Amino acid sequence: MAISIYETKLRNFLIFFSLLTLLTVALFVVHISIGPAMIDPILVFQTLFGLSPNPQKVVVNVVSLRLTRALATVLTGAALALAGLLMQTITRNPLADPYIFGLSSTALTFVALGVIFAPSLMVYRHYIIAVAFLGALSGYILTALLSRLGGGSDISMVLAGIAVASLFSGLSHVLLYIVQSMLRSPYVYFLLGSTTTVLQREIPLMTELLAVSTFASLLLIKPLNAYLYGDSYAKQLGFEPKYIRYVGAFIASLLTAVIVSYVGIVGFVGLVAPHIARFLVGSNHLFSMPITILVGASIALAADIIVKLISMYVGAIAELPLGVVTSIIGAPFLAYLIIKRLRE
Amino acid sequence: MKLVIDGVEVYYNSIPALRGASFEAQGGEVVAVIGPNGAGKTTLLRAIASIVKPLRGAIYIDGRLVNSVPPKERGKLIALVEPSISRSIPSSVLEFLLTARYPYSKLYSFTPSKRDLEVIDIIAKKLNITHLLNRRLDELSSGEFQRVLIARALIQEPRVLLLDEPTAFLDIKYRLEVMELVRYVTKEQRIISITAIHDVYLASLYADKVVLLSNGVIVAAGKPEDVFREELIENVYGVKVQILNIGDRRIVIPIQLLNNGQPT
Ligand SMILES: Nc1ncnc2c1ncn2[C@@H]1O[C@H](COP(=O)(O)OP(=O)(O)O)[C@@H](O)[C@H]1O
Ligand SMILES: [Mg+2]
Repeated sequence: MAISIYETKLRNFLIFFSLLTLLTVALFVVHISIGPAMIDPILVFQTLFGLSPNPQKVVVNVVSLRLTRALATVLTGAALALAGLLMQTITRNPLADPYIFGLSSTALTFVALGVIFAPSLMVYRHYIIAVAFLGALSGYILTALLSRLGGGSDISMVLAGIAVASLFSGLSHVLLYIVQSMLRSPYVYFLLGSTTTVLQREIPLMTELLAVSTFASLLLIKPLNAYLYGDSYAKQLGFEPKYIRYVGAFIASLLTAVIVSYVGIVGFVGLVAPHIARFLVGSNHLFSMPITILVGASIALAADIIVKLISMYVGAIAELPLGVVTSIIGAPFLAYLIIKRLRE
Repeated sequence: MKLVIDGVEVYYNSIPALRGASFEAQGGEVVAVIGPNGAGKTTLLRAIASIVKPLRGAIYIDGRLVNSVPPKERGKLIALVEPSISRSIPSSVLEFLLTARYPYSKLYSFTPSKRDLEVIDIIAKKLNITHLLNRRLDELSSGEFQRVLIARALIQEPRVLLLDEPTAFLDIKYRLEVMELVRYVTKEQRIISITAIHDVYLASLYADKVVLLSNGVIVAAGKPEDVFREELIENVYGVKVQILNIGDRRIVIPIQLLNNGQPT
């Protein structure tokens, strides 16, 4: 019985993994094909995978121009989703997310302060990421302390997080406004939650950091599974819950910091993706982790496609930030989760 | 096999919860730990399971100091069933039970072995939870949930099985069933089981050995006939009891409060 149930779970996982991989590739292709000059998605697909029988120079150029933004969007969704899953597990709170718990906003505030006070250092991405990382960790600790004052319940953690997130996202955007006047940045949306500003040469470092974080998370699969059921339960199986929390918070903060330093605040992907993943394949991190990553990438791509379409139809000069669209999708979901929780 | 508890002292914020606790147990013995609320029953079990570290004293299993056993190795020796586990992130019964096999596999061997799944099947059948394997943990009745918690501990195949109030939320039938099962497993596998239990009556039905705690001190430990004495129980609980001999067992029946039934 256990054997057949497990095999069914495994089969389900493989099916959803394949379907979501296909979905991600499809959205990726559509994402690239949309723009001022529309390109046939089939042509995009052929160009991307080198299958084109007679490659047209124009198409190749446009695809390679749009590729960076598409990749940045995929990485953003994947990283934030993984960060959200880790945070939900280490806080054992299904409402956790890097934005809702204040990590993203404090990270961005730290980056803005860094640019203002040490502009020469902030030319290097490594420093920006390091500063953002310290900011994300501080935000997490601040939220945890505040929620402990408020009794430490699930909902008090969310309320504390929203307080921290609102304060620091406001603050960081004011600071970024100042930064823009200092830098005379050509980007109106410098770190305001848009993937358009990521440069091609920045993709490798983003990818590496995400890959390292994912690999580290894979080694955490079993400890996280045991951790779900309580501190003393994890201890009984030989895992130290304190270290699981530290490592989990470290990776989640690093992932958040990377995205904040390249893109800015993109909220709610980390909240929604783990819920969809657990709904599809259950809570075993062996299954839920890869699915969360794929769902996160798909959500980000879909949201950024909406961003592109809106700007095309409205005909505005600059585009909406991706973070605006994910908030519109994600916030109602948070409301739904809170209402469900309070009803219990 | 043999378990030795030697002079164990546990403090919470420099307030003693357990003082100089000593007793021994042999393989195949069903031990009941009784005592009023706050006497230190949970603390004693948590100390044996190395969840809390004793300030003084030592715990040995077959001569090995439990505190010096590597944590994962300890998972194969001792399992503690606590009254509840966290269920805030939804997961299924099978997902929970699979974690009980982690002490038997490497950190990075991700899929369960055939034997892991077989052990789960055997125990699930024994506890009549096979039909629940696919259910969510937070959608079980208290009786079902309690049986799942006990199943987890058995799936871990420990040498020392610790249970903290395993019958607290159960009706009479399941109380007897759980205690029967604990007794059966203890005898069949020659392990040691130690059950902290409120219900003196249940303890007197099933225990081979009884440890009586009061204010963090073991006031008596030994055979049921040595511990279940009227004056001893009355002193510790402040309740008048009567001891009936039914079959070969001495059954403790609480009668009334000691001060003539006047609430204090
Ligand atoms: N985590 C803790 N922190 C502080 N004091 C505790 C803690 N756990 C238990 N205690 C105290 O230790 C004593 C023994 O508690 P416990 O072992 O839970 O008793 P029992 O299980 O017999 O009811 C009680 O006085 C209790 O208040
Ligand atoms: Mg207790």
